[in-house]
Formats: sequence, C-alpha cells, structure tokens
Amino acid sequence: MKSGIIFKLLRVAPMALAFGIGLGVPPAAAQAPIKLGASLSMTGTYAALGQNQQRGYQLCAKHVNESGGVLGRKIEFVLYDDRSEPATGVRLYERLITQDKVDAILGPYSSAITEAVANVNEKYKMPMVAPMASTTSIFKKGRKFIFMVQSPAEVYLEGLIDAAVKRGLKTVAIINEDTLFPKATVQGTIELAKQKGMQVVFVEAYPKGNTDFSALLTKVRAANPDVLGAATYFDDAVAITRQMKELNVSPKMYGVTVGGDLPKFYELLGKNAEFVYGATQWEAELPYPGSKEFTASFKKEFPGADPSYHAAGGYAGCQVLVEAIKSAGSLDGGKLRDAILKTDISNVYGGFKVDQDGFQVSHKMVMFQWQDGKKVIVWPDELAAGKLRFPTPQWNQR
Amino acid sequence: MSVSITAEMVGQVIISGLLAGALYSMVALGLALIFGVMRVINIAHGTFLMLGAYTTFWWSQLLGINPYLSLLASMPLMFLLGVLLQRTLVTRVVNAPELSSLLLTFGISIALVNLAQLAFTSDLRSVEYLTGAWLVGPIALSKSRVISFAFAVAITLFAFWFLQKTKLGKAIRATSQSSEVALVCGINVQRIHLYSFGIASALAAAGGSLVAVMIAIQPEMGQVYTFKSFLVIVLGGAGNLPGALLGGMLLGLVEQLASLFLTTQLSEAVAYVLLVLVLLLRPAGLLGGRST
Repeated sequence: MKSGIIFKLLRVAPMALAFGIGLGVPPAAAQAPIKLGASLSMTGTYAALGQNQQRGYQLCAKHVNESGGVLGRKIEFVLYDDRSEPATGVRLYERLITQDKVDAILGPYSSAITEAVANVNEKYKMPMVAPMASTTSIFKKGRKFIFMVQSPAEVYLEGLIDAAVKRGLKTVAIINEDTLFPKATVQGTIELAKQKGMQVVFVEAYPKGNTDFSALLTKVRAANPDVLGAATYFDDAVAITRQMKELNVSPKMYGVTVGGDLPKFYELLGKNAEFVYGATQWEAELPYPGSKEFTASFKKEFPGADPSYHAAGGYAGCQVLVEAIKSAGSLDGGKLRDAILKTDISNVYGGFKVDQDGFQVSHKMVMFQWQDGKKVIVWPDELAAGKLRFPTPQWNQR
Repeated sequence: MSVSITAEMVGQVIISGLLAGALYSMVALGLALIFGVMRVINIAHGTFLMLGAYTTFWWSQLLGINPYLSLLASMPLMFLLGVLLQRTLVTRVVNAPELSSLLLTFGISIALVNLAQLAFTSDLRSVEYLTGAWLVGPIALSKSRVISFAFAVAITLFAFWFLQKTKLGKAIRATSQSSEVALVCGINVQRIHLYSFGIASALAAAGGSLVAVMIAIQPEMGQVYTFKSFLVIVLGGAGNLPGALLGGMLLGLVEQLASLFLTTQLSEAVAYVLLVLVLLLRPAGLLGGRST
C-alpha cells in the first residue's frame, strides 16, 4: 500500500516539475515559432552545470530572434528539468517529441544522460546536437542522429604530448583516477604518444578518493619521465601536485586534465601551481568568432553567473542547429541531419565539424599553463596567448 | 609500462609508511582508549579529526600564526567537545549493547559533518606551510610529514607516560581492565569515562591538526581515518593500547609497500586482507585483547 503511493508520487512528481519549469518565449512573429526541445539538469548533482548550459540555450534563442529568427519564424525553447537522472531524461525527450511535438531538439547535460536519451531521438529520427557529451563511445554505436560538439576525453592531454614532442622530449608517464572518463583519457594519450614517437614509461591508476600518492609518485620518480600527465578531477590534481613537491618529482612538463583549470586550483596550491599545465575545452579569452560578444552579453543577461564552457557550449550547439535549419531550409529530420553533417564552421566554441558517425573532428582542446597566477593559453600555437615556460625547473629552484 | 623496483624506492616507501604510521597510531590510540574503557566503538572519531583540521585552518587563516601551534587550540577544544558529548549523549549507551553505541556515534558523526558542511562549505581548504622536501641522498623527506611525525611521536609518548605514571592515567587503565573492580576501589568511573572520551577526542584533533598541513581539508575527510583507526585497533587487539601503536605502524607500512609492489588500488584491499587474516589466525589481535 505504502509503496504504491510512493510509486504514484514518483510518477507524478517529474510531470509537475516539468510543467513548473517549462520555459517559453512568447510568440511574436505572425507564423507559429519553431519549437526546440531539451531537458537539462536544473536540480540534482549536475544542477550548476546544467543551469549554465540552459543559459547558453536561452541566450542563443534571444540572439537568433533579435536577428530575425530562422526561416522567417522565431524560435522558442521547451525546456524541462531531468533532475540529473538519465531515466528522467529519457521520459522527457519522449514527451518532447511525441506530446509537445517540438520541431527539433538539443542535447541534455553530461555524457551519462546523453547516452540514455540518444536512443529516444534515434527512434524518432530526430537529429540531436549534444553539446555536453564528450565520451567517444556514445558516438560509436551506429547511431545516425546524434552529433558531438566538444572534444573527446581521449585528446585532453594532446596539447601536453604535442608540445613535449616539439621540444624533443622522449618519455612520458601517465597516472589516472580509475573511473570511466580518466581511463578514456589515458587510452587516448597512450595512442597519441606512440603515434608521435614518445615512449610511455609508466602507467598506473589510483582509486577514486585516494589522498596518499607517495608510493605511486615514488614509482613515477624512478621511471624518471620527461613528461608526467595526470588524468584527474580536482581533489586528486591538488594532492598530486603537492606530493610531487614532497617527493621531489620534477618532470620537465607536468599536466593535469580536469580540475587544473579552476581558480581554486591556484588558490589552494599557491605558487606550487606555477608551471603546471592544464587542459580545457574553452576559455572566454580565446579569439573565436563571437566569443567576446557572447561573454559580454552573457554577463549582461545573467549577472553573477559565470560564463563557463557549459554556457558557451550550449550556445554554440544551438547555433549549429539553427545554421543547419537555415541551410536545410526545412525541419525534416533527414534533411537536418544532412545539413549538420555538411556543417564546417567556427563559432563561439571553436570549430565544428563531425564525421559520418557524428563524432567531433574539428573542435580543439586548448592547453594552458599557470604563469604568475594566471592561466595563459600556450597550445595550440595559433591560439596561444603566451609562450610556455619550459622546462619546468626543479622544485628547489622555483 | 611499470618500473622495476630498486632498494632506493623501497627505502623511500618505508619512510613514507613510517611517517604515515605514526599518525595512524596516535589517532587510533584514542579509539582504543574509548573502546578499552567503555566498550564503545566511536564512529565519530574521525569527525573530531576533521574538526581539529578545521581548527588549524582557521587558526592559521585568521590569526596567521604557525599552524603547528594550533595544537594548543585544537586539542583542548576537542577535549571539551568530547567531554560534553560523553556527558550528554555517549554516557547513555556505555552499558548498552554495542549496536547502540555504533548507532549513536554514527548519528553524532553525521550531525557534525553536516554542521561542518553548513559552517565551512564543502570547498577544499589547505594550509600551505612548509611544502616541499629535504633531500637526503636519493630519499626525499617531506618537510610537513617529518614535522607531523615528530609531533605525533611526542604526543603519543606523552599520552603513554600519562597513562603509566599519573594517578589519573592509572585510574583510566584500572577502569579499562575492570570497571567493577575500579568502582569498588573508589575510582569515580563516570569521571574516568569523561576524561577518556576527552583525551581520545584530543588525540584525534591532534591528528587533524597535523594532517591539515599535509592534505586538503574538507568536511568528509574524517571518515577514512575512522576506518583506518578501526583497522588499526583490530590489528593490534581491540582496547590494547600498545597494540594500537604497533597496528598503526604496520598499517602505514603495509599500505605503502602494497602500493609500491602492487598498485595503489590494491593497497587498501591488502590492508583489509591483512585484517581478515589477523581475525582468522589471532582473533584477539596481534598483541591480544585488552591490555594496558
């Protein structure tokens, strides 16, 4: 009896929430607006990130409508909250397509939810540009209607390897948290290093939540690599950097993946963060077309919110879809798909071009280095804002 | 893609293990003390460690004084908090079945961790003081870890001296051996419980203060130390104080050596396999049961 009620509540709650949170721009044009649907994580674990992606979508709609809309029509978003749950996302996309009858859709936040909802739009043959999914496997399952916007996990350390090879470095060691995303980064980095003729001298994973890296770093020191790459999140990136100093592990280059880009990284480590390399999908100061304007109008529209890469990615994903609708001249799923496959542009978020699987091949990660308390973009050369400080000196000479 | 292990590496790792082990010993000593005296398993032990770490953080952040001196604040503060909790809550479960004390201290731990999250947020904090290492030949000695080790050894030795030589210490040990007989001999057992919980909390807080200069601080950091302390006192013999020392050093060494010879992922597993082996072969722990 009790469980029956709870079950009913569980079924009703998301609907209520969905109605509460559905947002719409009032139709202004004579013709009915084009309805774009998406579910985003506005509550739950990914709330902060999902909300920023939502701001990107909203800003995109505003800008498109201000410049006259698409195919002579305004665009309007139908947005729901998936509570950071893949199963809820699936239900909401099903609803968007079958009940709300949206004209096109955009992706949710995170790889996990994208992976789940990708089966829904595939079923209805409705193309989905997925701005915040960077797990390669999602795009390698034979799906025809999903398109990637940002760079995959595998290339997070490409900058580090490339810059190292150009400076004649020969050996690399890689350590990683033993979870899905960092593991994919390690696989990709090993491949890249081998292709470029670097020797991978040491690879080892550590469990999530690990705080003592002494023995691991002792092994790294014995392997004596020119380069150390760490596929991290945040806590571990901080701890590893600190303990490298304690164990006097001093490779010529040392880079982390996720976490090194947060201002908090420097706050916690102070000058010990100097010389550390990090990877990022996007930074506000990158000279991409429209990037400055995006950041400025984002700050004006959403005072207090941080124009993070989630917002820029959402904005860019929406732009890609809008451009595809324009060039297809239609909202038909098949024609839209062809148009997206032909798209080869550079926007706020950098390059966009996908292969036949919908896998992103043009967007580039950038690598920065902490220099005097600032993130200075040092790779790739064409986007670099400064020179990299190379080699990283021994700890006692910094 | 792994490295061959050299004597230097083993030396480095043994030193890391001993440096970590001394801290484990000191913190676990508190847990052993509470268990010995009251038969209470204090799941909130690591929480006191976390609060000690925050004391050190705020001490150095707000006052800008040497973080090691914050031991003078964190230990008395947590002593008082420990006494307060013993007086109000823990005293009610001292003679109850062990499950009651587990539930109660688990609850206390959840409450304190959540309060800490509210008060301090979950942001990582760190006390940047003396980072880096002294280089002795091929061995790197982490400055913060060596100093923390020295403090931990000193505090542990002092605690032992206190328990062996002072009147109060003897009364605590007497209560640990048999609270009925202690009561008959005129020892105020209730009072001894208060002191024991207070001292144990102060030892955990000392651990927190010393850990604060080594790793990042956040409200959930204590949990892992509760588990490790538990492991240590089971290895050494529950309620056995010298056993806690031996267990702590052993755990430090086993973790580090397992990380070196196997992988970091397996080191925790190895520590727990060791626990199972000890429980199978010497169920009372390496040094036997309650001995003070």
